[in-house]
Amino acid sequence: MTGDASPPKRILPWLVTAILLLTGSMANSQTLSVQPLNLVGTISAADWEAYRSRFVEDSGRVVDTANGNISHSEGQGYGLLLALAAGDRRSFEQIWNFTFTELLIRDDGLAVWKWDPNGKPKITDRNNATDGDLLIAYALARAGAAWQETRYTNAAQKLAKAIGKSTLSRAGGSLVLLPGSQGFGAGDRPDGPVINLSYWIFETFPVMAALAPEYEWTRVWRDGVMLLQQATSGRVRLPADWISLQNGLQPKPADGFPPEFGYNSLRIPLYLLRAGMTEMEWLRALKQRWSAENEGVAVINVVTGQVRERLTDQGYAMLPAALACALDGTPIPEPLKSFEPSLYYPSTLYLLAKSLLGEKYPQCV
Amino acid sequence: MRLVGSAITIAVAILGFAAIAQQTGSGVSQPPAEAPPAPAPPPPAPTNGSQSQSQPQVDESALRYFASQGDTRRVNAEIARLRALYPNWTPPSDLSQLSGSPGAPPPDPLIERLWNLYREDRIAEVRAAIAERQATDANWKPPEELVTALETVEARRRLTNASDTGQWRTVLSVATEVPGLLTCMNVDVLWRVAEAFARTDQPNRTRDVYTYILTNCATPAERLATLQKALLVLPEPQVTALLQFERRTGDTPDDFGTIRDELARRRVERASLDSKMTASADDLAVVERMIQTSGEAGPVLILGWYNYHHNNPTRALELFKTALDRNAGPKAAEGYAMSLRALNRLAEAETFAYEWRERAPENMKIYLDVATALLSQDPPPRLDTQVVGRIVPVVMAQRFSDAAQALGWYSYNTEQIRTARDWFRTALSWKADDEPSAYGLALSTQRLNDRGGFNAVVAQWRSRSQRIADLADGVNPATGRQAVAAQPAVPQPAMTAPPAMAAPVETAPPPAQPRYAPREVAVEQVEAEQAFVQTEENVRRRQTQARSALGRNCAITRNPSGLSADAALTRGWCLMEANRPLEAVNAFDRAIANGSSRTREEAAYGKSLAYLRKNLTSEAAIAAAEAPQNRERRVELGASILTQRALAAYRDGRYVETLHALSERARIVPEQNDLLLIRGWSYLKLGRFDDAEKVFRAVQQTGYSEEAAAGLNAIREVTGQVRY
Repeated sequence: MTGDASPPKRILPWLVTAILLLTGSMANSQTLSVQPLNLVGTISAADWEAYRSRFVEDSGRVVDTANGNISHSEGQGYGLLLALAAGDRRSFEQIWNFTFTELLIRDDGLAVWKWDPNGKPKITDRNNATDGDLLIAYALARAGAAWQETRYTNAAQKLAKAIGKSTLSRAGGSLVLLPGSQGFGAGDRPDGPVINLSYWIFETFPVMAALAPEYEWTRVWRDGVMLLQQATSGRVRLPADWISLQNGLQPKPADGFPPEFGYNSLRIPLYLLRAGMTEMEWLRALKQRWSAENEGVAVINVVTGQVRERLTDQGYAMLPAALACALDGTPIPEPLKSFEPSLYYPSTLYLLAKSLLGEKYPQCV
Repeated sequence: MRLVGSAITIAVAILGFAAIAQQTGSGVSQPPAEAPPAPAPPPPAPTNGSQSQSQPQVDESALRYFASQGDTRRVNAEIARLRALYPNWTPPSDLSQLSGSPGAPPPDPLIERLWNLYREDRIAEVRAAIAERQATDANWKPPEELVTALETVEARRRLTNASDTGQWRTVLSVATEVPGLLTCMNVDVLWRVAEAFARTDQPNRTRDVYTYILTNCATPAERLATLQKALLVLPEPQVTALLQFERRTGDTPDDFGTIRDELARRRVERASLDSKMTASADDLAVVERMIQTSGEAGPVLILGWYNYHHNNPTRALELFKTALDRNAGPKAAEGYAMSLRALNRLAEAETFAYEWRERAPENMKIYLDVATALLSQDPPPRLDTQVVGRIVPVVMAQRFSDAAQALGWYSYNTEQIRTARDWFRTALSWKADDEPSAYGLALSTQRLNDRGGFNAVVAQWRSRSQRIADLADGVNPATGRQAVAAQPAVPQPAMTAPPAMAAPVETAPPPAQPRYAPREVAVEQVEAEQAFVQTEENVRRRQTQARSALGRNCAITRNPSGLSADAALTRGWCLMEANRPLEAVNAFDRAIANGSSRTREEAAYGKSLAYLRKNLTSEAAIAAAEAPQNRERRVELGASILTQRALAAYRDGRYVETLHALSERARIVPEQNDLLLIRGWSYLKLGRFDDAEKVFRAVQQTGYSEEAAAGLNAIREVTGQVRY
């Protein structure tokens, strides 16, 4: 969006090659690997229109309809990603325009996370939310490559560098993502550093590594996997949404948040699947829990194991279905095959799952 | 930041060019960056004919585009539209120059739609439509002017959002990237850029931006607002320098009077806090005018403090009164009380300050200062018990040691020595290094013959306080008057100061020792002594009783309700001696309930002391008010006691204490000649020759010339000077 259009066009094919190379190298050095998605064309026009007409305004703002109709960097990131998956250049540009003019204004190059139409000023929390930044940078990079649009690629690179510079932090021997650049670090709260494992959007790391190779994305990815394994090794094999790494590396639920496997963490299996990281043992345990016990997806206290709230929306129900498909080849139940948008968040999860299934597991749908 | 700074310099240079361009007429072909968009509803910045050319600053980018395409139909439509919106606007004269050759391709309907969307401020949709078109036709390019216009709008939004969220680096980097924003059409943007410079410690750049606005932009309201902003962030000399851009002539001249007034007000405000700074007459006149023309309290307070700190408390008082009338609250009250104090109207000050004391810490402070000053007046004022009664709880709550000390002296000077002792102790508990309180405590304990207490003070303070050391050195237990000691005997320092001859110097300066034999002054002791003994005898008798046979009774806890008033009073004192003050209160209450007025007086006194002992000062104040002590009684008793002390001290060669006792006595009764002579000799013994001379001369005036002459001779002998 800036005046200069000077970076060479050569960058684009280089980027694609770099992604593939890095993904390959990641695969060699780990037992887990990240398999890139094609993304484009994995959401039908009808499904996308249903989502877009409901949740995206003409100004390009994605509306969180369950949350005071605010917008946030996460929603903009998901919107960009889904527009790309639907192959909708128009909408992508619209959503990007709002993101660029209203959210990408921080001095450190990250996006402010919260925008409230009733706020004065509209930005009611100027901290960033790292998962939103990752989604935006990821979508921009993939769109820039897919549509040969240097504006997107340049913006993606700027944002990736900003993420690498401002949100990575050392905790004990690990390199972690801070959920926001302010307020979560070791010096910022007594139980700091505090992390959110659902901010590890695994499919984005190879792309970040291609955009900003000076940062240790592989390390972040690997340490996130390790922390997830640690967080799911207790009696209740579910990670809390917000985790404190204060005691060296032994994760425990963070203070001031309900110690729950909740709206944040339930995305983790989806992200693992989208990154092709299906070998994780925990996924099997989770699948057991989600399907066998007839519990479905629920918000669960990770200390007591008690169910606080069952989540019945189609978008949530899609998660165990996708898991069962990816691990066992179980077909998706009929009721889940057609999109019935409700609220922003579960509808988003639904389409992300469906997009994955359409691309990687067409036999299930 | 330096990089950004230099880019801004370039931007400012561009602006310089633009400014010249603007002033030579809008016909010059300007880069499109000069014309930021005006969406269909009129833009927030005023655009009506206020430029030197009487042209509203209208967004002509669409018009120029159509003209450049040779699209006459759309040009006319656009002209009609703009005329409808801006009646004073006329189309630029150079439109025809922009049109392309007659064979230009037919206009693209998409482009018209894009411009329409742009004019409706639907920027995201414009971008979306462009992207959609480019998806199918990779070679298609939107018009340059449209892209620039879009970039400018987006930049303005980003800059505004960044500024609202305190992201100053972003503000400056956007301004650098899109310098076309920095024009008079966007004074709001310029202000935000100026603020970003100020917030990133570059105030000189802020000044540059304001200078640009004042040099180039025409709207008077915006010009004035620019100076108001400058007042907030720039140092005053720079604001003053900006005033030079005031336009006095033309259709819409500036009026920066309010700015000048504010600068004057600030100067006076600074001077109002610093007695060494004076404000000019002009500046003071500005503030006076502000007071008259507005109902505000601010300027009144400033002028009030100015007068207070420049030795005009009368005027200050008037002003603070005005400020109070204008609801200025605690600040005005503080000034009012301080002015009353400066005018020595202490009783009024205390009453006034009492009402305001809780409002703010400053008000409490001034109340305590005023109360202390009131109590410390010399001679001690005759204070309403209600006044003392309200001062005491405040002092206790605030733990203000100066006031406790003042209460100590006040009590001491009104012959309430036990109370004084308690107050001095209290003061020391709040401020352990307060020498005057320690001195007061030493005096009080000495007066009360509280050996233990006195020795404790001396032990702690001897090395730090000359006058306390002197008191200690003057003590001679064998000759001092004492009651029957109920305490165990404490080994006394065996100091026998030989009287008169070669008396040791009791104060440090001057070092010269007297080398003479002063006359012994024959003192008329008898009558004074008799009266004294009689009065004191009563008090001491009761206290002795308390310690003796009857006193056995008070060792046993007992309900006082069966006792007669006198017996209850005696019991009360016994319990005080036994340091059981709360039980004493009960006994005193019984005496108050049943006793004669004399008994009641003494019982009330005892009760207030009991409460003080227990640190229940408000109760003590109440108790004291129950039956106020008879003043005449106090004076009479006090004078006699003090005379005796002065004479005893003089005989024992304790000249410091002589003087002290004489001074205290002089507070309550006038000093007669015989005591004046003793005073004079005491000064002389202490080497205070000037003071001694004054006294002897005063005595000489009244006719005791022989005695006075002897004194003056003695001075001359010592100092080797003739004093006539």
